[in-house]
Amino acid sequence: MTQTPISSTSAVQDRNPVVTWGSLGLVVLGAAIILAVGLGVDSVFILTLAGYTCSFALFALSVNLILGGIGEVPLGQCMFFGIGAYVPAILMNHAGMPYEVGIFAGMAFSAVLAVVIGWLTLRLTGAYFSIVSWGLSGVAMVTALNLEITGGPLGLFGFSRLSIGPFDLNKPRVYFYATAIILLLALLFLAHVRTARFGRALESIRQSRHLAQSLGINVFRERLKALVLSAPIAALAGALCIPYMQIVTPDVMSVIRTVDALLAVLIGGTALLYGPVVGSVIFTIVPQFMDLDANVRVLVFSLLIIFIMVVAPGGLHQLMKALQARFVRSSGSKP
Amino acid sequence: MELFVQTIINGLILGAGYALVAVGLTVIFGTLHIVNFAHGAFFALGAYAVLVLGYADIPYLLAVPLAVIAVAIIGVALEWTVVRRALYDRGEHGSIIITFALSQAIVAAIILIVGPDPLPVSSPFGQTAISVFGFFLSAQRLFIALTSIVVLAGFAWWLRHSVKGQQILAVSQNPRGALYSGINVPLIRSLSFLLGISAAGLAGALIAPLISAFPTMGNANVIVAFTVVILGGLGSIGGAMLGALVIGLANALFETFVSVSWTPALGWILVILVLLFWPQGLMGRAQINRH
Repeated sequence: MTQTPISSTSAVQDRNPVVTWGSLGLVVLGAAIILAVGLGVDSVFILTLAGYTCSFALFALSVNLILGGIGEVPLGQCMFFGIGAYVPAILMNHAGMPYEVGIFAGMAFSAVLAVVIGWLTLRLTGAYFSIVSWGLSGVAMVTALNLEITGGPLGLFGFSRLSIGPFDLNKPRVYFYATAIILLLALLFLAHVRTARFGRALESIRQSRHLAQSLGINVFRERLKALVLSAPIAALAGALCIPYMQIVTPDVMSVIRTVDALLAVLIGGTALLYGPVVGSVIFTIVPQFMDLDANVRVLVFSLLIIFIMVVAPGGLHQLMKALQARFVRSSGSKP
Repeated sequence: MELFVQTIINGLILGAGYALVAVGLTVIFGTLHIVNFAHGAFFALGAYAVLVLGYADIPYLLAVPLAVIAVAIIGVALEWTVVRRALYDRGEHGSIIITFALSQAIVAAIILIVGPDPLPVSSPFGQTAISVFGFFLSAQRLFIALTSIVVLAGFAWWLRHSVKGQQILAVSQNPRGALYSGINVPLIRSLSFLLGISAAGLAGALIAPLISAFPTMGNANVIVAFTVVILGGLGSIGGAMLGALVIGLANALFETFVSVSWTPALGWILVILVLLFWPQGLMGRAQINRH
């Protein structure tokens, strides 16, 4: 990835106020969009899709925490997504536990797993990390196919109650509100993390691992923290997708899901916090209106990824900046 | 005991087949410094080329070299349009995403053009088995092993004794030094890419009669190739050949004595273990990919 220059937001700031103008603006804008969609849209189809888009955006955020955060390609992030979907499904169907407990159990389990996996694999970088990460998701998928508790290739389905507290996620409008609010909270949390010491450390690691280490940053520990932070977010996304999918099969861990998220992240740009959200919205909404065959979709999107990587590795964000720079230059040169 | 020897033989023959895919992967890594995640897609393209040529009534033994040429042509076109522009000197990060996307695109294209179902590929060796000292060898597997050994031996000889081969070795050792000594580095990189994916195409064409042609057939094989290449040491050609035999044996033994349905996970687990505990591999140079 191109080395983006240090942006003005990462200038030296000693204080890290919890409430900033930026996060306040985010809340207001987010709440406005949520209310506009929630009150203005009546179509069940669009509301469900919007809810799914929010959970998918959550997964994209988790992928970007690794891709944009520490500069690795987490091909196996779909494993955490799958765990987040499987754990509530298993607990609901086999232990009769409520959905909420399952969500938290999945998040906790994925975080613990991320500690173990990260401790083993984050010493590797570049293609090596990506291969191991992909490999682990492959192992997870084979495991889901072969175990009895996961329902084998058929998967798990027939969930009786999908609600968080009094909110029934099987109702499209409630589903949308719930996922959108969770997404907004996650964005706020990540915005806070970005400006915190940890976020700065990550940025310096992404730009130059060795320089960061020479500055006294414990590179391995910060990378591990990033993975452990990203895993429960991916698991939460997986759990929130259950009301949309209504079934959990081994395919939920397919690496295609990571590829989708990578595309969403790349469209929006890795440098911005809300880039993946913008990318996810474009990515999930546009194909619904083009009525594409699944394989045509994969083909088009893969080619799109290649195109973005060749032309604008920084995504829409970079394109906008380039256009802006050109506009400023051309208007400035005129007498 | 007999089963054990039979399994060992099967494993070695399997390994000879893996070596083809793995050597292609390692040559590309050595000179381009990218891990070609699209390798499995070229493998599948080789198999489908043989399938299509078979429909045109071209005999299998002639179809195999033609399929390799077809894969090479597609490879050149992609090298020219995508790989060259995006990968060289762009760092690993972009190349991982691009080659991965390329592989998804090729697989999706195959599904759209030919269809998702496995299609049988006929071969003159069919299902015949040859008995040697009381052990059975499938004729097709023997053919794969022999072709692979001949091609790899020829390739190794060519690398050592031809000017272009020497240049490939030079670029993989030190691209800057090679450039300063007047070697056309971009040309050599294109040539290595071409050779690497042609080997993948050849492997696909050879294995197709055994496992039929299906769009994602490359995945399993490229995963094994990753294991092989990492075990041997990325970029080391000798290591790839040795690694292929080791992995072939491991797979055959596991399949026979432990479990068939868990075998796909074995490749992944081996990759992970090797990367974790032995990242420079059997014959690789020490890597700076750790910190």
